[in-house]
Amino acid sequence: MFKKISRKNAIHVMLFYTGGCNGCDIEVANAAWSPRYDLEQYKVILTWNPREADVLAVTGPVLRRTIEPLKKIYEAIPEPKIVAAVGSCGVRCGIFKDFGGELGDSDEVLCRVDEVIPVDAYIPGCPARPEDIIAGIAAGIPLLLER
Amino acid sequence: MGENERKEKAEVEVPVGLLHPAMLEPYRARFFVDDELIVDCELTLDPYHKGIERIMEGMPVEKGLIITERICGICSHIHLWNGTRAVERGLRIKVPERADYIRVIMAELERLHSHLIFLAHAMEVLGHETMCMRAFTLREDVMDLLYIISGNRVHYAVPIIGGIRPRCDIDDFRMSELHNRLSKLDVKIGDYANRVINDSLIMSRVKGTGVLTKEEAIKYATPGPTGRASGINIDLRKKMKEYKTFDFNVIVLDDGDNKDRVVARALECIESVKIIKQALESLPSGPISDRSFELKEMRFSTSYIEAPRGEIYDSLALDETGRIRNYQNRTPTLTAMASMEIACIGDQLTDGMLTMASCDPCLACTNRAIVVENGKERVFTEEEVKSLIRRGL
Repeated sequence: MFKKISRKNAIHVMLFYTGGCNGCDIEVANAAWSPRYDLEQYKVILTWNPREADVLAVTGPVLRRTIEPLKKIYEAIPEPKIVAAVGSCGVRCGIFKDFGGELGDSDEVLCRVDEVIPVDAYIPGCPARPEDIIAGIAAGIPLLLER
Repeated sequence: MGENERKEKAEVEVPVGLLHPAMLEPYRARFFVDDELIVDCELTLDPYHKGIERIMEGMPVEKGLIITERICGICSHIHLWNGTRAVERGLRIKVPERADYIRVIMAELERLHSHLIFLAHAMEVLGHETMCMRAFTLREDVMDLLYIISGNRVHYAVPIIGGIRPRCDIDDFRMSELHNRLSKLDVKIGDYANRVINDSLIMSRVKGTGVLTKEEAIKYATPGPTGRASGINIDLRKKMKEYKTFDFNVIVLDDGDNKDRVVARALECIESVKIIKQALESLPSGPISDRSFELKEMRFSTSYIEAPRGEIYDSLALDETGRIRNYQNRTPTLTAMASMEIACIGDQLTDGMLTMASCDPCLACTNRAIVVENGKERVFTEEEVKSLIRRGL
């Protein structure tokens, strides 16, 4: 009970950029925490340390070079935790896996985020809008408190 | 002293990155430190390579150009504009004047948004949270203007070959809305720039650190505002035919330290607002696109544009069915990396990250493939590259 209340008052979000185009990255780190949208007023705080995070926001498709760091960062986050896949690239690899010329799609882009780690909230959009990011993280918080 | 000697002589190596509070972008900086002074610095940038140039090989041109926009999430309009511009130059397609004006308006709004992110990020690294948040507030106003014109916050998809998309035309409602908001934004940006330049607290922190002299800047081909802050008087906008009708100043400063790099961008914001105002006032009427072209075989065609961070280069060829061949793209941060490494040598370690941030790195577009053999990086020679091209790789 006490744990639940205290956790509700300090949700820490960690952003991990697996290799999109930087657009969602900026929308998460700069727009959702900018004074206009201001996620901090709901006591949601951005952090860069996996050991104090509750929510992992992953932007971008999983690349050959980022699959191992993604697994490691996911394991470093203490239970309970939720994962939000942000943007079309995070949800379904986006433009980098759908399209392909004569040489096929990119070899470097491996798979979706939910093929590597379990994902709780999908936030679509190219890039995801700050309103959607706030809604997605807000939808995930009850899940976090139940676990 | 040789480079390796300097590294071996250094007492401590301080690695920063890939994930670090001081850097938003994923890159890795290794500072070689001797008694708090940086003696050498090395940047590594490979882990986010996506192979976009390779995906685009053999794609229909209009479909493929959409991917160029996804190269970067900050300067997305510039990439698409430069790609379409290369095709238009190659096929000799004439773009209506109104379309050129709207492209310029988008590009300048994007420059505002990029420079405001830079100012916010520089203030964050400096430790001045208030000015950082003020810049983000201003940026949201600019994003609203971009949203009004194009309907999306980041990937606008305004240019197509021969003009602009019909949904991005500026009608009367949008015109009045843009005028209203821009006149407010003009005052706000002027106030912000004044405050940054005249704040003794900020200036005492950035003055005299991270010096990049003019000789070094010329030697390492420093692009864009970073080069202009070191005294290189080059702005591609003065040479482009799209910008010929506008009256604006090129900001050239002489000191080349962190102060000048911050001030140059703050002043460029004011110049950008000036260009947008002129373009809105003299927006010509007429068609917005001329789609009566035929896609045919096109020889290798190139285009250079002044992006927010410097000049970007696109080149591509088309085959007889209008498919992309040999798309290439070089972005300004790739050329700015070398000057970032040089600028922080000789400073305190605490100023190292600030110098990195003040050169405005944007790494999403910069990641390239690196050849590693026996655990060491290797650079291809010219002959090897030529033989690879001959073999069709």
